[in-house]
Amino acid sequence: MSDTIRLVVDGEEVEVPTGSTLLAATARAGADVPTLCHDPRLDPMGSCRMCLVEVEGQRRLQPACAYPAMEGQVVHTSTDRVERHRQVLLSMYCADHTLDADGLPAERALGNQLRAHVEAFGTGPTLPPIGTPRAGREDPNPYIHFDPDSCIACARCVRYCDEVEAVSAITLAMRGSSTTIATADQVGLLDSSCELCGGCIDTCPTGAMSEKRALGLLGADEETVRSTCNFCGVGCQLDLHVRDGEVVRVSSPPPGTTVNDGNLCVKGRFATEFINHPDRLTVPLIRGDDGELHEATWDEAIRVTAAGLMGVKERYGADALGFVSSSRCTGEENYLVQKLSRAAFGTNNCHQCAAT
Amino acid sequence: MERKGARRFQVLDLLQEEGGAAAGTAARVGAQTGVPDADVYGVSTFYSLLRKPGRRTRVCQGLTCKLAGSDARVAALRATGEEVEEVSCLGQCDRAPVGLDADHEALLWGEPGSISPADTDLPMNLAGDDDFSFSALARARELGPNAVIAELKAGGLQGRGGAGFPAHFKWNAVRTQPPGDSYVVVNADEGEPGTFKDREVMLRRPGLMLEGAAIAAYVAGAAVLFIYVRGEFKDCIRSLEGAITAAADHLDWLDIRIVEGHGAYICGEETALLEAIEGRRGMPRLKPPYPTESGLWGKSTLMNNVETLACVPSIVTRGGDWFAAQGKTEPGSKLYCVSGHVGRPGVYELPLGVTLDELVEAAGGYVGTPQAFSPGGASSGFLPMSFRDTPLDFGGLVKAGSMFGSSGLVVLNDTIDMAMAARHGLVFFEDESCGQCTPCRVGCVVQRQSLDRYLETGDASHLEHAEDVAWEMDEGSICGLGMVASWPLTTAMKHFPAAFEDRTIDE
Ligand SMILES: Cc1cc2nc3c(=O)[nH]c(=O)nc-3n(C[C@H](O)[C@H](O)[C@H](O)COP(=O)(O)O)c2cc1C
Ligand code: SF4
Ligand code: SF4
Ligand code: SF4
Ligand code: FES
Repeated sequence: MSDTIRLVVDGEEVEVPTGSTLLAATARAGADVPTLCHDPRLDPMGSCRMCLVEVEGQRRLQPACAYPAMEGQVVHTSTDRVERHRQVLLSMYCADHTLDADGLPAERALGNQLRAHVEAFGTGPTLPPIGTPRAGREDPNPYIHFDPDSCIACARCVRYCDEVEAVSAITLAMRGSSTTIATADQVGLLDSSCELCGGCIDTCPTGAMSEKRALGLLGADEETVRSTCNFCGVGCQLDLHVRDGEVVRVSSPPPGTTVNDGNLCVKGRFATEFINHPDRLTVPLIRGDDGELHEATWDEAIRVTAAGLMGVKERYGADALGFVSSSRCTGEENYLVQKLSRAAFGTNNCHQCAAT
Repeated sequence: MERKGARRFQVLDLLQEEGGAAAGTAARVGAQTGVPDADVYGVSTFYSLLRKPGRRTRVCQGLTCKLAGSDARVAALRATGEEVEEVSCLGQCDRAPVGLDADHEALLWGEPGSISPADTDLPMNLAGDDDFSFSALARARELGPNAVIAELKAGGLQGRGGAGFPAHFKWNAVRTQPPGDSYVVVNADEGEPGTFKDREVMLRRPGLMLEGAAIAAYVAGAAVLFIYVRGEFKDCIRSLEGAITAAADHLDWLDIRIVEGHGAYICGEETALLEAIEGRRGMPRLKPPYPTESGLWGKSTLMNNVETLACVPSIVTRGGDWFAAQGKTEPGSKLYCVSGHVGRPGVYELPLGVTLDELVEAAGGYVGTPQAFSPGGASSGFLPMSFRDTPLDFGGLVKAGSMFGSSGLVVLNDTIDMAMAARHGLVFFEDESCGQCTPCRVGCVVQRQSLDRYLETGDASHLEHAEDVAWEMDEGSICGLGMVASWPLTTAMKHFPAAFEDRTIDE
């Protein structure tokens, strides 16, 4: 079997690796094929039907996200049939989604792909809202909010929780128009196996799964600062969303762009309250002869610490000292700690608290 | 993620033993099987016989049962303080009205249905006796797999489950798969409103079906045979178990497993059925790959309908040419189910391609003045009586803008409001949509609500988008359910426009 296949997308010949989906091929051709249930980290589900395209020789429209690209295929991404399909489909989505005053799918902090598609492709007939009641749950967990009325049942959250987190705390539940996202017996996330990684929020295309503290906040008035998470040494990239000088929430850069591939853990995504906390230490403190802590400069603090450690070494020998570095340290920082331990103080008593 | 070695396939049976989706059930079944609790919960809430714990009587809300007075049954039961749930078609339309007791045993309140008189020249001959000598299986072994497939081809056997796909193609596709485990699955989930032929085969000729399935397993080189029977057909399951025992001497090489359904019409769709056997929510898979390539647990799988397999023994013993000659416009004989406004509802084995008039003549004539008929269950929508001379076969009905489907014919006389008849079809698909894809999940509700608004107000403008929505359901849905779910409405609007004009509503 050859490594690549060639096919024609909207009249343009493209070459993609064998085993690619049509979505890869249409992207190669620069065609704008809208998706909702697709996430490159997950196995294709092909259920949102947003990405349907025409494949010559196939009677039915086919989902680009799941359909295999094949040698010699001829694919069309914007025929009248495809355009009509998108518009009537989007009409149906709008009949089952929280809309704003302009009749558009509501804007959300992390964006709403449904809204973007309506803006880009338009809708067909205006259909009355179906108003299907869906099972909801009381969920006192501090971070994650689920809004059944904005959920399009694409199951990205469920598949993420299963395929990426390997946790499976949530599931598609019920069937037909009542289909929704649930935990076992509809317990709160804290009572489930959920690890509060927040990946379900990140993958949700509509904002139905969202961050509690950012509810109602829209992305527009925020500044985004790319940073590195300092909770551990992995080096996950994160985007800090800053409003009036304060971090209001954290999101992960898109999958495929950074080392963490769109993933974060509970600490990186949610544990930001310390940044502006009044108890946070922002300068070194030295305990004086009066028994109280006094503000000091780093030079003073380092000098006092060094003197204390050297004093122990002189009195009891170097092996009376031990150096334990924090699991928040990076590999480079750990290297420096062992250097300090061995070269500056002469002991092999050094350890990293995340080492087992 | 399920644990390595998880016993997912046990999930549904254990949920049934537990009595459905009560609090704590998911955790217990999860612990026993290694499947995550949430996942188990998701499965339990999918199936109508599991999603609501507790015991109650179920009454069929299908069109034929409504016509036969099921509302009065519901009222009478409720008056005694009994909890009653109205459910989708129970596959007993010839005996309407019907229900299901708390143990899921059928409650048959109507007259028993009829069948064709015994005739040994009928390939299936429902009124005949089962023969457990399994001589057709022996003959198949003499012929060898390729010759059996050649006979199927000569017999022109088209799948009787609804799609009419030539059986020999699928059998051959499984034959040509690389060697390895393969499975044969009997689709006995019969759930299409108006359809009850597989039920009669399983009750009257379980041995015939079993022999056909055994021949399929022999040809496919399968060591395991699954029979997926809808959970509302407890008597069929007992009948099959009896036949398996009676035929045990001939089937020691085959591991036969009966899998019970748990209340979901969509599990009749072949890939949803595979999901159900595996212990998941019955949501159809994307095709490709087709089950013959990658089916049950990813293995090559041959699935056929009960009636398809019941045709096989006579094809093997009397030859494909003989079988083909039993048809009129297309090959073979066919089990036609007929119910509604006819004298003797039931299952009639007739040459494939008879007309409605010929069929109804066998079934005791029309009751009242016929107005419309569904040729192949709710999925086929409605045709007016001007099609009474159209051959009832796979090709002819497609040309008529309908389909033969599972050959569940429902005849309606002129006492019926076609808008109300359409509503029954829409409600059925809305209740039975798996909810996976948006055109079907949302479209079914949009259509039913539009029709309701029309029926409430008499204002026909509520139906102005019905065609657009139906078009998208057909184009965009994943499976056949969503593709046809609007047909009851759109075909009725097309053929009976007067029933959908502005009307005055009596207060
Ligand atoms: C919504 C839906 C429901 C179906 N229900 C049944 C059913 O109850 N029984 C059946 O045999 N086939 C049913 N089918 C058809 C099956 O998918 C499949 O085509 C059939 O079992 C193949 O067997 P055959 O080739 O012998 O007909 C259904 C299909 C769809 C789309
Ligand atoms: S936060 Fe993470 S573990 Fe919890 S439900 Fe969402 S994806 Fe699953
Ligand atoms: S919560 Fe979001 S990701 Fe999950 S199914 Fe709903 S729309 Fe999809
Ligand atoms: S068409 Fe309907 S039943 Fe079929 S997969 Fe889609 S939602 Fe499910
Ligand atoms: S993105 Fe392809 S079907 Fe959803």
